[in-house]
Amino acid sequence: MSDVAAGAPDAFGRVSEEITGIPFHFPHRGTWWVLFGGALILLLIFFISVGVLFFFGVGVWGNNIPVNWGFPIINYVWFLGIGHAGTLISALLLLTGADWRNALNRFAEAMTLFSVICAGLYPILHLGRPWLFYWMAPYPNTMALWPQFKSPLSWDFFAVVVYLIVSVLFWYIGALPDFATMRDRARSRFAQVAYGLLALGWRGSARHWARWRQAYRLVAALAVPLVFAVTASYALLFAAGLVPGWASTVYPPYFFAGAVFSGFAVVAMIATVLRHGLGLGHIITARHLDLIGVFLLATGFMTAYGYVAEAFDVLYAGKPQELATLMDRLTGAYAATYWGAVALNFLPLQLLWVRRIRAHPVALFLVALAVTFGMWLERYMLVVTALYRDWLVSSWGAYHATFWDWALFAGMLGVFLVPFLLFVRFLPVVSVFEVNAAWAREARHG
Amino acid sequence: MHHPSSQGPIGHRPSRSTGGAFWRSLEELVRTPDFQAALAREFPGLGPLAEAVDRRALLRVMGASLALAGLTGCKAEPDETALPYVVQPEGIVSGNPRFYATAVTLAGYALPALGKTYAGRPVKLEGNPDHPAAAGASDPFLQGALLDLYDPERSQAPRHLGQPTSWSAFDDAVAAMARDMDGRQGEGFRILTGAVTSPTLSRQIAALTQRWPKARWHAFEPVNDDLRREATGMAFGRPLETHLLLEEAEVVVSLDDDLLGPGPRQAAHHRRWSARRRAMQAGQGRCRLLVAEPVPTLTGGAAEARLVAPAQRMAAFVEAIAAGLGAEGRPGALSDAERGFVDRAVAALKAHPGRGLLTVGAQHPPEVQAAALLASARLGAIGTTLRLTDPITLAPPDGAQSLERLMSDMADGAVTALVVIGANPAYAAPAGLNFEAALAKVPLRLHAGLHYDETAQACHWHAPLAHELETWSDARAVDGTASIIQPLVRSFYDVRPLHAIMAALSGGSDASDRTAVEATWKASMGEEFDARWRAALVRGFVAGSAPEVVTPSLATAAPTLAPDGEEGGLAVVVRPDPTLWDGRFAHNAWLQETPKPFTKITWGNVVTVSPRWAAENSVVQGDEVRLSVGGRSITGPAFVLPGQEPGTVGLTLGGGRRVAGEVGTGLGYDASALLETARARRLAGASLERTGRALPLASTQLHQAMDGFDFVRTVTGPDQDASTHGQSPGPGTAAPAGGPAPTFYPARRWDSPSWGMAIDTDLCTGCNACVVACVAENNVPVVGKAEVENGREMHWLRVDHYFSGDPAAPRSYFQPVPCMHCEQAPCEMGCPVNATVHSSDGLNLQVYNRCIGTRTCSSFCPYKVRRFNWFDYTSGDPPELRAARNPEVTVRARGVMEKCTYCVQRIGAARINAKEEGRAIREGEVVTACQQACPASAISFGDVTDPGSLVSRHKLSPRNYSLLEEANTRPRTTYLARIEDEGEAPA
Repeated sequence: MSDVAAGAPDAFGRVSEEITGIPFHFPHRGTWWVLFGGALILLLIFFISVGVLFFFGVGVWGNNIPVNWGFPIINYVWFLGIGHAGTLISALLLLTGADWRNALNRFAEAMTLFSVICAGLYPILHLGRPWLFYWMAPYPNTMALWPQFKSPLSWDFFAVVVYLIVSVLFWYIGALPDFATMRDRARSRFAQVAYGLLALGWRGSARHWARWRQAYRLVAALAVPLVFAVTASYALLFAAGLVPGWASTVYPPYFFAGAVFSGFAVVAMIATVLRHGLGLGHIITARHLDLIGVFLLATGFMTAYGYVAEAFDVLYAGKPQELATLMDRLTGAYAATYWGAVALNFLPLQLLWVRRIRAHPVALFLVALAVTFGMWLERYMLVVTALYRDWLVSSWGAYHATFWDWALFAGMLGVFLVPFLLFVRFLPVVSVFEVNAAWAREARHG
Repeated sequence: MHHPSSQGPIGHRPSRSTGGAFWRSLEELVRTPDFQAALAREFPGLGPLAEAVDRRALLRVMGASLALAGLTGCKAEPDETALPYVVQPEGIVSGNPRFYATAVTLAGYALPALGKTYAGRPVKLEGNPDHPAAAGASDPFLQGALLDLYDPERSQAPRHLGQPTSWSAFDDAVAAMARDMDGRQGEGFRILTGAVTSPTLSRQIAALTQRWPKARWHAFEPVNDDLRREATGMAFGRPLETHLLLEEAEVVVSLDDDLLGPGPRQAAHHRRWSARRRAMQAGQGRCRLLVAEPVPTLTGGAAEARLVAPAQRMAAFVEAIAAGLGAEGRPGALSDAERGFVDRAVAALKAHPGRGLLTVGAQHPPEVQAAALLASARLGAIGTTLRLTDPITLAPPDGAQSLERLMSDMADGAVTALVVIGANPAYAAPAGLNFEAALAKVPLRLHAGLHYDETAQACHWHAPLAHELETWSDARAVDGTASIIQPLVRSFYDVRPLHAIMAALSGGSDASDRTAVEATWKASMGEEFDARWRAALVRGFVAGSAPEVVTPSLATAAPTLAPDGEEGGLAVVVRPDPTLWDGRFAHNAWLQETPKPFTKITWGNVVTVSPRWAAENSVVQGDEVRLSVGGRSITGPAFVLPGQEPGTVGLTLGGGRRVAGEVGTGLGYDASALLETARARRLAGASLERTGRALPLASTQLHQAMDGFDFVRTVTGPDQDASTHGQSPGPGTAAPAGGPAPTFYPARRWDSPSWGMAIDTDLCTGCNACVVACVAENNVPVVGKAEVENGREMHWLRVDHYFSGDPAAPRSYFQPVPCMHCEQAPCEMGCPVNATVHSSDGLNLQVYNRCIGTRTCSSFCPYKVRRFNWFDYTSGDPPELRAARNPEVTVRARGVMEKCTYCVQRIGAARINAKEEGRAIREGEVVTACQQACPASAISFGDVTDPGSLVSRHKLSPRNYSLLEEANTRPRTTYLARIEDEGEAPA
């Protein structure tokens, strides 16, 4: 991967200035304000739809009996899946020493952080009595009750909370040296104090670096297995139930592949947009895009394998209820979501076999966009097609998202976009010191 | 010292100018001006209003009105002593329920009931177990009647020309009318009621016609037995009541007679039929039911054989069966299917001499019914399976023509005053009679009823009646046994009892409803009145008050049946609605939200069409169709109903109410708008077309095909095994292997008691009594049409219905589905906060205040019996509806899951009693609400660890099976397979 980190050797040292200079001399301020304004409107929609939800109850959504779970769970799984890519890129590649991650990890981690927040909000809003969500936590209480540890929701709650904490820590620890750089370069007093507080007194001494390195690697080592734990826990949310179309051991690996797949798709979209918007073509190079494309292709095939394995499972077991659910997925009222997921996830993906397309930002962006939509449809398909026709014919029903379902979804995109845009605007979007270090290594060994 | 005025007006002799020296009656006296003046001084309400109003007087009255306005809040309370419980009265423990025997009425007949009251507040009605007619059986209407009592939309004040007014104004109007009528001996006075079985009302009607000899009483009951009465007249020489003793009948051939369907006889017929059915299950004789009908009914659903045939073919079947049984006559031609049915019926009837019954629906022409009665008599049915008595309902002077006669008199202007009591002809009268136009010609129109309805709106005066549960009255049940209706609660609205209003009209001295009812029974009970009255109140009926059984002579000549002419176009069959009856229950949200047995439609009625007709005319579920016949038309949503005759359109009464409050107005169509006369609810030559619109249907079960699964299992004989063999090839092809699935865990041992339920699908007819009982017992909220459309109905107990076989002539299966209380419950595993847990006595509990609403339990539940409070369904209820709630059952908040608890409150009550007495809970001590309501006793409940309990014995039956056995949830609720087709072999 030597060429990955290799920018022009003469660029060494300039990168700090360039990246850290972005917040102080932000290009395209107008565009940013338009985007931020749009995101704020979405955030406002979020608050309105949550207000409506809290005032009237979850009945404002389309959920019913038998489709108890609708948009909140669909979007929860979708957001959480997206989040996993950031952790994997950052932590797994850090541990394996892949230097090329350094151009991507910071914004990927930020993406993880914000999408985990969105994902974490959804199950709480989903509750009939959201103000009591903390009952899922094992805390000393007057009722002398623990959570019910057999429930996959309990595992899920722990997994998501731990994952959120670890994601914050990982992102923050990783960004510490860069906050210090920002502090040092800031001109205004306010910025100096603000970045200074974030930098926690970082001076860049050798001892600091040694401690930092330990901490960072430790959290990375925690984060990687956590990705598997979290995907497994929300996969078991489905797999542990008796519902035909859910009760399958294929779900944990299937969800893992799908999560990484959708996450890489969003990373690809953000990378191409930032690269273009902030003029980072020499840092996020065509080679990076190429690698993201390869990853996308690989995880896409793992996900496709999950589809095949799931269908095989059903056909091999031959249980009538499972077969009926499979047929419902392929031909039922919501077949469009199944075939939509297949088409959007796997057909444009085949273009990525060609290196020229992989390395082309617009093409990569479009393929990634298709996958992002496709994975959302897959989540919809998995939740709704299993529930709307389950065991008893008499209980069959239908599900349609209502205005407030969509409003909350749009609002939740605002919850993601507002902090992400602030991050882009005020913090270094690429890990400065790591790129510097990589380039330094290149220069030494080059 | 004689002074004329000291004697008052009564002492004052009329002047000679009137022409007579002496007054001959008090009536003559009271017409004198002096008396009138004195009367006005004494009782200003009875006097005429001041005629001229000047400005000063107006201002004075206005000022006084303003000053006194605040006083209107002070309601006159009855002059009875009420004391708080300073000292606990003996025998009354506050918080413990008390039971009173009473009754509510349907179509005039008493539905005998036990009312459960807490602190003087009725919260539940059960069938009266001692009553000879139904022996504790109940039906959806009895179960739903409680909500009528607490209906916040009940009429609460008298009205004049639609505006609320006072009782004294109403009394003035009645008094003025009475004065007028006194002078004309009641000429032009008419009173219209529903069907009357009440001895007190009969007595008061008689008193009324005695007071005003020219007054006339009319009766109009939209769904009635008038034609049956005529048929008995033809067959037996005089009108009689037919009582079908189904417990004795080993073979019943029903030609479009919905014996088990909705109506006042439903509970009694279920009780009798299920007794026969249970005997058959025990190997004692047969219980065969053969039905020919155009539209699916509960009777057809329970039948061993069901022939789909147009209603007008019933005459031909009667002839053919009668001929097959040896009667004279040349029956008309039959198709192969019809011939097969008739031959089967004849063979079955012949095989059980004296134990057979041939019956034709009461809506069919009297000649056809009479022919069937004679055929039954020839089978030796009279006295064994068919009992005859004098009619139970009081026949109005014009018999079945009563309404028509009234209409023609009204149209001729012969009616000057009409009083309508407890009937709603402006809505329910056939459109052909044009009731409202005729009514407009009556100068004075009064209405008394529970609601301000269509008729009330068309009348000058409306008086709100007290509900039967807050008044004294009496009525006869379908067997003729009279019940004393005693109030369970004092009226909480300013309403009057029916008998008080009748007393005012008939000029009787009965000051109150109680004295009126007592006066009636004092006459018949004689000297033993006190003891017999008390016994009647305690037991809920007057022992020995059923009419004598009569054995009439048979008509020698069989009635001639009109030939079955070719009728062009579609035939229309109008039936009473299974949940709304004739529309009188449109106000009742419990009944509106109860799914109809076959269509599973709630909130309104549908136009049912056959699958073949729908396919030919490309009509799908919910298409709006216009049905036109004889120049009249209605529009409503089409429902494609398997098993309906292709040339027949099925309608039900009860929809399209125009004035029925927020709950009942404007739901569905009004079928009476198509009817020509009150005699025939069958029309021919109709056309049906799509309007192009689609109407939403609030259905609780969208799919009724079993899709090859075995949710309802069937066996071909009583002792056949449902789990391994003996399955009919029809439903249930996916039979799982018997025996429990393998497990890693040791079998759990259950302490006694451990509760379980067994539901006999062989006895369940799908009548819905259990569903409404569950709603009443467990404070199940009503969610309304839009939410049902959304799949959010809250019923803890539902009755699933499945069709199997050819959609043109399918088999029907009903399956009540409460919570299964699985021993290995997936819901319990899914809940993260321990809100659904298993109790030591085998219940799957839902802890409402622990639930945070993740809905995982419902997602994981294979039976989908859990219900979620998507909104706050309860806190907005008006105080009346809150008063209707069972205080033993938690009212659920928004955002929590709920479901069937096996009536855990009843288990708790039994446990407390048992503990107090230091013993174990006895078998039969815990009765769930659904079990108690079931008129067929299809549900058994008890301790499954006690091998002697009924439920344990049922679970040992080879017919016992678990729903979704393959899910390995080990449900505590199990089912007994339906016994299909006992076959032709003799028992």
